[in-house]
Amino acid sequence: MSNAPATSASLSKIRIEYDDDTVRQFTIAAIAWGIVGMLVGVLIATQLAFWQANFNTSWLTFGRLRPLHTNAVIFAFVGNMMFAGIYYSTQRLVKARTASFFLSQLHFWGWQAIILAAAITLPLGLTRGKEYAELIWPIDIAVALIWVVFAINFFWTLARRNEPTLYVAIWFYIATIITVAMLYIINHLSIPTSLTHSYPIFGGVQDALVQWWYGHNAVAFFLTTPILGIMYYFVPKAAERPVYSYRLSIVHFWSLVFIYIWAGPHHLLNTSLPVWLQSLGMIFSLMLWAPSWGGMLNGLLTLRGAWHKLRTDPVLKFFVAAITFYGMATFEGPLMSIRAVNAISHYSDWTIAHVHSGALGWNGFMAAGMFYWLAPRLWNRPLHSVSAANLHFWLGLTGILLYVAAMYVSGLTQALMLSATRESGTVLAYPNFIDAVTSTRALMVIRTIGGAMYLAGYIMLAWNVWKTARLGQAVNGSIEVCVEPPDQAPIGLRGGLFGPPVIYAMLSILFIVGWAASSGVLSGMSIFALIATLMAMSMHKEMTKTSWGQWYEQLLTNSLPFTILTAVAVFIGGIVQIIPTVMFDKAANIEGMRQIPYTPLELAGRDIYIREGCYNCHSQQIRTLVGDVLRYGDYSKMGESIYDHPFQWGSKRTGPDLAREGGKYPSVWHFHHMRDPRQISPGSTMPNFPWLFTDKTDVAALPNKIAVQRRLGVPFPPMTADQLQSSIGKQEQLLSDELKVAGAEVPPDREIIALIAYMQKLGKSEQVPAPTTTHTAAR
Amino acid sequence: MFHRILVEDWQRALSIASFTIFAFVFVLTFIRVLRMPRKRVSHLENLPLENDTHEQRR
Repeated sequence: MSNAPATSASLSKIRIEYDDDTVRQFTIAAIAWGIVGMLVGVLIATQLAFWQANFNTSWLTFGRLRPLHTNAVIFAFVGNMMFAGIYYSTQRLVKARTASFFLSQLHFWGWQAIILAAAITLPLGLTRGKEYAELIWPIDIAVALIWVVFAINFFWTLARRNEPTLYVAIWFYIATIITVAMLYIINHLSIPTSLTHSYPIFGGVQDALVQWWYGHNAVAFFLTTPILGIMYYFVPKAAERPVYSYRLSIVHFWSLVFIYIWAGPHHLLNTSLPVWLQSLGMIFSLMLWAPSWGGMLNGLLTLRGAWHKLRTDPVLKFFVAAITFYGMATFEGPLMSIRAVNAISHYSDWTIAHVHSGALGWNGFMAAGMFYWLAPRLWNRPLHSVSAANLHFWLGLTGILLYVAAMYVSGLTQALMLSATRESGTVLAYPNFIDAVTSTRALMVIRTIGGAMYLAGYIMLAWNVWKTARLGQAVNGSIEVCVEPPDQAPIGLRGGLFGPPVIYAMLSILFIVGWAASSGVLSGMSIFALIATLMAMSMHKEMTKTSWGQWYEQLLTNSLPFTILTAVAVFIGGIVQIIPTVMFDKAANIEGMRQIPYTPLELAGRDIYIREGCYNCHSQQIRTLVGDVLRYGDYSKMGESIYDHPFQWGSKRTGPDLAREGGKYPSVWHFHHMRDPRQISPGSTMPNFPWLFTDKTDVAALPNKIAVQRRLGVPFPPMTADQLQSSIGKQEQLLSDELKVAGAEVPPDREIIALIAYMQKLGKSEQVPAPTTTHTAAR
Repeated sequence: MFHRILVEDWQRALSIASFTIFAFVFVLTFIRVLRMPRKRVSHLENLPLENDTHEQRR
């Protein structure tokens, strides 16, 4: 139903019936997919404690299910919850029904189809091999299209609104829509080799930077900004009082939007990422402390005078705990971005603790609070069981605390054991990696119990909402609105984007950059130009007698120029970090070490490595840290992964780093290790991979894959089909013969042969001649 | 060239430029926020509290 004219005397009065059907659908989907995602989480946590839970089955192994868990929780659970919250609050904040019911339905069903496709393809091993960006290219295109549908519907609704001003929650939603689109598209740029496979256009260090620019900001703009918008709407509703400080919410918004986008490189500290990028990521991460805590305090203080309600109201309990977890996670995040702290937290379970205090505490509890608040309104019946909701809260909270406490202890144990040295720092105290695995086994069990408790709480929520819905009746909210003519003329796109404040601000930013990035005369001229710009601005204001405050006020009621300026704010961070890194011909200009390209068989082996999700447990990056260098060899150089599309630096070491694995052990070691890791390494939690010994290597796909790699700049020599077959056949036979001599027999065309070929190539690089120009001359 | 672009010292200036830009934007926002009329703030902060029939039925 669209906005229908009322029959009352006043023509400017209309009654609006909101589209709450879509809200109900997204709510149910979020709860259902949330349970699926958490169930998979509990299963993979069990696998880390008991390897037998991998069931010797390809589609149930940890490496394939971990991406399913992360994608389900991020995109299915939080995604659906976010859409429910946005559709509900936006309609009420702008006093207009969603513009198109068709687009809402297309959005809902399209999103569920995407999730279903992900739930099928990921266990099958169809992946892009990049964390939180694993979905294959046809699904990626569907995600982009459905996101556009959502954006059109959202902005169309804003255009039809009956409330001229835009509440701060709407700002957070706008930032989410714009930024997620930008991040998702850039990080998913790929060239297909088949319907289900592609290679990302970025490789090595470039891919690492783009991936973590995306990965970090997926947390920022998918798991944080929309939920903050939801917080700014639902917490005042539940507390029945306005937000503590609306002014602070504005500062919170602009600071967060401007700073967040820069912080991605903190995921790559102490690696071969350029140091200036690492510093930039660290500085901006530290700056995030201020706006994040400003937002947290704003949320908590909204309950001023209503704290007594916490004793009885489960909704407020969930909201307050969620905001507290937000504060803790956003304190911990910048802390972990300090290079020295990151040396301990990165690649260890500390990161897992941090992520889960955010996901379970902030996202999961905000979602639960919102569902308990929405259910009685959407189905016109009091919540079926308030006591069950309260029990859910305590069960969930205990579950989180058990989970994160176990992971903090585990993370610190792993990091300290693996970096510990003796004899004046020349020898590792624990040379066997497996010591860190066996020492933390009990903590993995505690983590599983904590996760299971949290899941049990959500099953109780599902039961509670289902009973409320079944005994109640679905109703749509409606409201009578007095439509008044706007008291200000619209600012228009041109007025918004090219208003004097924007022009002067842009010029000032340009000259600030000129001052900082140049030296000598140019730097002095930039300072002079900056002063001249500020003087011109002052004179302009004086002569025209205009108030730019009014321009700003108008901007806040005009969504399109506001959206574009928000986009500019987030683009700046991406441009400064990514453009210098991706614009140069990497291989031709690399200095120092350069990776030796893979043979066709090694490339096939690499794709098997990615398919099995080995990057979920093994890194390929030796950091510039004593413990890493003593354990794995010289630290990784930028050129050593330059041909890796996608990069495989990883983010967690459940097993050891593999950057220089090639030649470390004989091929037969890998053969037995892949068949039964415990035969080689007692106490290992790695799954068995029996199917690699029976399945044949997909040689037919290689011509297309090599053609795409060549397009991406990887120097594969030109080969005819016969030459390709011959190259593969020879290397397969060589490896098969080598294994046979060592007492391990397997036909040469099996996947294990290709995988061993790849493993034995890891870390093979060549020295590149030093440049002829000197350091100073190049300047 | 690749090496120079990625590792040379002048790129460190970007950290300073970025911080300065942020400080510039932050100060502008802060001043603007402080000068917002009280009536407008009151209108905006009360927007979530306007009830529809969902609340009225309760």
